[in-house]
Amino acid sequence: MNPSQAALVFVVLAPGSVFAILGLLWLLGWVPAERLVCRITGLTFSACVIGLAAILWKLASTGAPAVVVTFGTWFAVHDYHFPLVLMADRISLPFLGLTVVLSGLIGQFSATYLHRERGFLRFFLLLHLFAFGSLLAFAAGSFDLLAAGWELVGITSVLLIAFFQQRSAPVENGLRVFAVYRACDIGLLVSIFAMHHWAGTASFADGLPHLTGTQAVIVCLLLLLAAAGKAAQVPFSGWLPRAMEGPTPSSAIFYGAISIHAGAYLLLRVQPLLAQSTLASALVIAIGVITAIHGTIVGRASADAKTSLAYASLTQVGVVFVEIGFGWTWIALAHILGHATVRTLQFLRAPSMLHDYHQMHSAIGSELSPAGAQLEDLLPKRAQLWLYRWAFDRGHLDTILDRWVAYPLMQLSRLFGKLDNLGLRGPVRRTEEAAISLGSAASQGGD
Amino acid sequence: MASPASILTIVAIAVPWLASILVAVYRRQTRSVGSVACLISVIASALLLQAAPAGESLYQALMLLFSCLALLATFVLARRDCNSGSIGGILFVLGSTLLAYSTENLLILLAAWILSTVPFFLTRWLRATSWRPSVGLLLSSLALALAIALIAGEGNAVSIEHLKGQNPGGLAAFALLVIAVIFRKGICPAHAWVADAAEGGPAIPTALLLNGHFGALLVAKLIVPLFPRTAGNLFPVLSYLAMGTALYVAIRALTENSPRRLLAFLALSQSACILAGLESRTAEGIAGALVHWFVVTVSTMGLFGILRLLEVRFGENLTAARHLGLAEHAPRLAVFFAIFGLALVGLPGTLSFCSQDLLIHGTLASHPLTGLLLPIATAMNAVSVFRLFTRLFLGQRRTGFTLMADALPRERWILTAGVLFVVLGGLFPNAIVAQRSAEIEAVAQKTPGLLSPVR
Repeated sequence: MNPSQAALVFVVLAPGSVFAILGLLWLLGWVPAERLVCRITGLTFSACVIGLAAILWKLASTGAPAVVVTFGTWFAVHDYHFPLVLMADRISLPFLGLTVVLSGLIGQFSATYLHRERGFLRFFLLLHLFAFGSLLAFAAGSFDLLAAGWELVGITSVLLIAFFQQRSAPVENGLRVFAVYRACDIGLLVSIFAMHHWAGTASFADGLPHLTGTQAVIVCLLLLLAAAGKAAQVPFSGWLPRAMEGPTPSSAIFYGAISIHAGAYLLLRVQPLLAQSTLASALVIAIGVITAIHGTIVGRASADAKTSLAYASLTQVGVVFVEIGFGWTWIALAHILGHATVRTLQFLRAPSMLHDYHQMHSAIGSELSPAGAQLEDLLPKRAQLWLYRWAFDRGHLDTILDRWVAYPLMQLSRLFGKLDNLGLRGPVRRTEEAAISLGSAASQGGD
Repeated sequence: MASPASILTIVAIAVPWLASILVAVYRRQTRSVGSVACLISVIASALLLQAAPAGESLYQALMLLFSCLALLATFVLARRDCNSGSIGGILFVLGSTLLAYSTENLLILLAAWILSTVPFFLTRWLRATSWRPSVGLLLSSLALALAIALIAGEGNAVSIEHLKGQNPGGLAAFALLVIAVIFRKGICPAHAWVADAAEGGPAIPTALLLNGHFGALLVAKLIVPLFPRTAGNLFPVLSYLAMGTALYVAIRALTENSPRRLLAFLALSQSACILAGLESRTAEGIAGALVHWFVVTVSTMGLFGILRLLEVRFGENLTAARHLGLAEHAPRLAVFFAIFGLALVGLPGTLSFCSQDLLIHGTLASHPLTGLLLPIATAMNAVSVFRLFTRLFLGQRRTGFTLMADALPRERWILTAGVLFVVLGGLFPNAIVAQRSAEIEAVAQKTPGLLSPVR
C-alpha cells in the first residue's frame, strides 16, 4: 500500500474508529470530558484534511485519474462477491473534502453551541459516525460499499433529528424521516442486486457495470428512487422541514451540505448509465424541475429561518438534478460545492439571525428596505391565496403520502390485528387493552 | 469406547439437564448453578466445533451459539426472575435444543423436539397465559411424530444418514414435515401463538425457545436431505408462505403497541426470512439464511433481555402507544436496545448487513417478483424497531418514581459481549460466511439439485 492509498484508508476509517472507541468506552461506564471530546474531534478531522491534501497532491503531481485501494473480497459465497474497494477520483474527492472540512468546522462550532448540553457526547459520537458513513459512501468503489455508508448516513441523520429527545415532536419526525429513508433505500438495494444479477458486479472502480439499454433504465430508475428519497425530491420532500427539529449544526451539515447532496452524488456516479437512457434522464430532469419550483414556492411561505433555508437547499438540489439529467457533470459538481459551503454558513448563522438584523438596523439607522417586487404579485388575488394555502401545507405532499400510503397500510395492519384476535376471548385481548390504558395513564401522570 | 466427540456432546447436553433437576430440587443458588452448567456446555460445544471437520461444522456452531445464548440468559435474568422455574426451564430447553442440533437419529430428534417444549406446558415453569402457544407446539409435535412414523415405517431406518435422498414416506411425510415447520416456526396462518407466548410467558426463556429455530432446523436437517426431489418441486410453496409471513407480520407490527408482541412479530418476520433463504435454493440465499440465523438469535435475545430489564425496573405495563422517555433513566440500555434492534434489520457494520445482503440476492435470484417482499418486509421491520425504540426510550421523561438503575455491571458486560458479536461479525463477516459457504458447497455435492434456482 503506497502513502496515498494509506492516506485514503486513514481518512475513511479515522472518524469510524473514534466513534467505535468512544462509544464502547461509554457503554462500559466511562464518560469523557467535553474538552477531550472536542480535542479528539479537532485532531481527527485535521488529520483527515492533511490526508486528503496528500491524495490531492499525489493525483495532481502524477496525473493519475484516481487512488484505488483494493482489499479483496469482504465476503463471498459461490459466485457472489462483496468487493471491498475504496476509491478517490475527481467526482468523489470534492465530496470527501467537503465532508472532512465541514465536519471539522461543525465540530468546532458545536463545542461552544452545545456546551453543557445533555446530549453533548451523543452529538459528537453521531457526528463521527455520520462522517464515517459519508466518507465510506463517497470513497466506495462499489455500490455495495456505497450502500453501507448510505445507510449509516441515514440512521445518524434520524438520530440527530431526534436529538432533543425530551420532546415528542422531534422524535416523531425522526421516525417519519426514517420511514421515508428505508422505503426509498429499497431502490438502492434492489438496483445493486440487479447489477450483480445482470453484470456480475456492482463495482465501479474499473468503470460502471455493462448493462443493456433496458437493464440500464431499470437500474437508473431504482437508483433515482433512492437518490430522490435522500435528496428530499418530490414526492418525498415532506420529510425535509421535519428534519429541522435537530440541532442547528447537524441541520447545517446534513441538510445544507452533505446528506442532501448524497442523492446527487449517486446520480453523478451513474451518469454514464443515465446518458444511455433518455427515459431516466428525462425523469431526473422532471423531478429536478418540479422540486425546484416546489421548493421555491413553499420556502416563501415558511415561517421560520431553518425551514426557509431547507427549502432553499431543496430548490438548489432540484437544479443540480436538472444539471445531472442534462449530463453537465462538472457544472453540477461546482454547483454542489458552492451551494454546500454557502448553505452551511447560512444554517450556522440562522440562530443569530435576529442579532444580525439588529446589528444591520443599528448600522444603517433604520429598518431594512423590503425585498422588492415578488413574482407572485402578478397572479390574481384568488390564485395568490390558493398558492399560499398550497405552499403553507407544503404542497400537500405529506397529506398525499399519508392518505394514499400510510393510512391504508395502518388500516391493513389493524385488520390483520383483528384477524389475529378472531375468536379470542381470553387474556391476550384483555392484556392488550390494559397495556394501552395503563400506558396512557402513566404518560398522563408523567406529563 | 466412545469417541471424544460423543463424550463432549453428552457433556454439553447432560450437564444442563442434570443442573435443571438440581435447581428444581435444591432451589438455591439458581443463577450460579445455571451459569456454571451453561458455561460447561459452552466449553464442550466450543471443543466440538474445534474438532469438527471443515465444511461440516454447522450444527456444532449452532450448539456453541445456543449455549452462549443460554449463558447470556442466565446472566441477564433479573434477580426477581431468578427462580428455580426460570433457570430450570432455560437449562432444560438448552439440553433439549443441543440434543436436537447434535442428533442424526429421527427418534431422538422427535424426543428433543418434544422435550424442548415441555417446560412451556408446566404451570410452575414457563407456561404462557394463552392457549394458543400450547396448541401450536402440540400440533407441531404431533405432525412431526406422524411424519417420523411414516418415514421410519417406509424407510425401515431411523438414521437420517441412511434415509438421505430416498424420499421416505412420500408426499404425505413431506406434507406433515411442512406442517410441523409451519406450526413450530409460526408461519402464517399459524403465527399468532408466537406473539401470545412472548406476551403471556416469561420473556427470556420464551425468547430462548423461539431462538432454537426448530422449524429451520427441520428444513435443513430433514426436508432438504431426505426429500431433494419433492423439495425441489414444492419448495416454492413453502418459500412463498415464508415470504408472505415476513411481510404479513411486518405489516402487523406497524400498529402493535405491546412491546413484547411487537418484538415477537419482528423476530417472527426475520425468522421467516431465514426460512425463505433456506428455500431459495441458491448458495447466497442459503448462506444468508444460516448467517441470519446467528444474527436473529443474538439480536432478539438481546432485545427480549433488555425489555425484561425495563419491565423489572419500570413496571410490566410498558407500551409503545406513547413516549415513555426511559433513556433519561437508562441511557445504556437504550443504546444496547438500539444496536440490537438495528442489527436485526440490517444496520451496516453489523452482521445482519451481510446476511440481509445475501438473503436479498438469494431470494430475488430465486423468485424475482416475490423476492421483492423480503426487502419491503425488512424496511417495515426497521420502522417498527425504531418506533418501539423511540416510544420506549425517547420523549418526555416519565416521572412517578425516583432514580432507577441503568444497566448493572453484570448486564452491561454481557450485553456488550452480544453487541461485540454482531458488530465484529459485521466488520469481519468472512469468518462466519466462509464457513457457512463451505458447508453449503459440501452439502450441495452430496445433494444434487440443491442449488438450482426455480425461475
